[in-house]
Amino acid sequence: MSEKWRYLITEGNSAAKNMAIDRAVLIANSESTVPPTVRFYNWFPPAISIGYFQSLKEEVDLLECEKSGVDYVRRITGGGAVFHEKELTYSIVIPEFHSEISKNIMESYRRICGAIIKGLKQLGINSEYVPINDIISEGKKISGNAQTRKLKTVLQHGTVILDVDVDKMFSVLRVPNEKIKDKMISDVKQRVTSIKHILGKEITFLDAAVAMKKGFEEEFDIELVKGFLTGYELNLTRKFEKECFGARDWNFKR
Amino acid sequence: MNSKSVYKIPNGKLLKISLDYNDENKKILDLRITGDFFAYPEESIEIIEKKLVGAPLNEKTLKDKIDNVIRENKIEFIGLDTDGLVSGILMCLK
Repeated sequence: MSEKWRYLITEGNSAAKNMAIDRAVLIANSESTVPPTVRFYNWFPPAISIGYFQSLKEEVDLLECEKSGVDYVRRITGGGAVFHEKELTYSIVIPEFHSEISKNIMESYRRICGAIIKGLKQLGINSEYVPINDIISEGKKISGNAQTRKLKTVLQHGTVILDVDVDKMFSVLRVPNEKIKDKMISDVKQRVTSIKHILGKEITFLDAAVAMKKGFEEEFDIELVKGFLTGYELNLTRKFEKECFGARDWNFKR
Repeated sequence: MNSKSVYKIPNGKLLKISLDYNDENKKILDLRITGDFFAYPEESIEIIEKKLVGAPLNEKTLKDKIDNVIRENKIEFIGLDTDGLVSGILMCLK
């Protein structure tokens, strides 16, 4: 019989709350109070997340964010700045010593991205993993991923792009050189794709979640059982939202 | 003296260094390492920043110091390496 993991669907949360939930689940799982967990979520309002090592001021046009109602947050994972609007975001939290998780970090990226690739296949989209942390389809990026390991627990989260507005994305992201901004925008338009672009039609967040759920079940030979955040996780979420991801100290720390 | 560099690590990520150094003796006063790379554990970048304060800006010393911190703290980089860090730091001098 296959192992049972928990899956969560949380829609419409702020950037700070989304990052707080991922961290809360990581803590709860590290203390063995919850099973390995896969979560599917989106962002409201739209938001930019930056990698742990990035500088918020350097990467994000904060004035423009305020004007257009775009949220921002520093992640606990490395990697780059991401504009989250029309996407499905997933996270997986699992013990580092779980038999399905390689000690080798790159190998575990490949494996978890395998679940997303199988999920995309459910939607009729062929894709492949490209190290370090991308999944591409028809030669263009459709998913970016980032992993951390803390308390002997793996957290990997990533995007599945449902639709993308590169012009809007660049209105809130800062570029190193304004003179080449137009060139950068056209480069990114060449390099990034979306489910809508490939299928020629929009699919909903929930349709994408159903497909990704199957992808995880196939990749890891498990059954995902619908669950909810525990009281403990909700308390941790509130704490992290207030003290960490919603706090200036954290978001501006680098 | 304050200086910045942006350096694309070969086969890796984009490294941005912000450096404050003494122009007379060419030693590091303060250092900020940012970028879209990965480091495990994440705190390792702050450790490296602290350990390099006071270090002379020459390739061999920087390389040795960084390699030592990596060994002592069992640090794993993805999209970043010691040579890239050293290059990024020294580019601030140009």
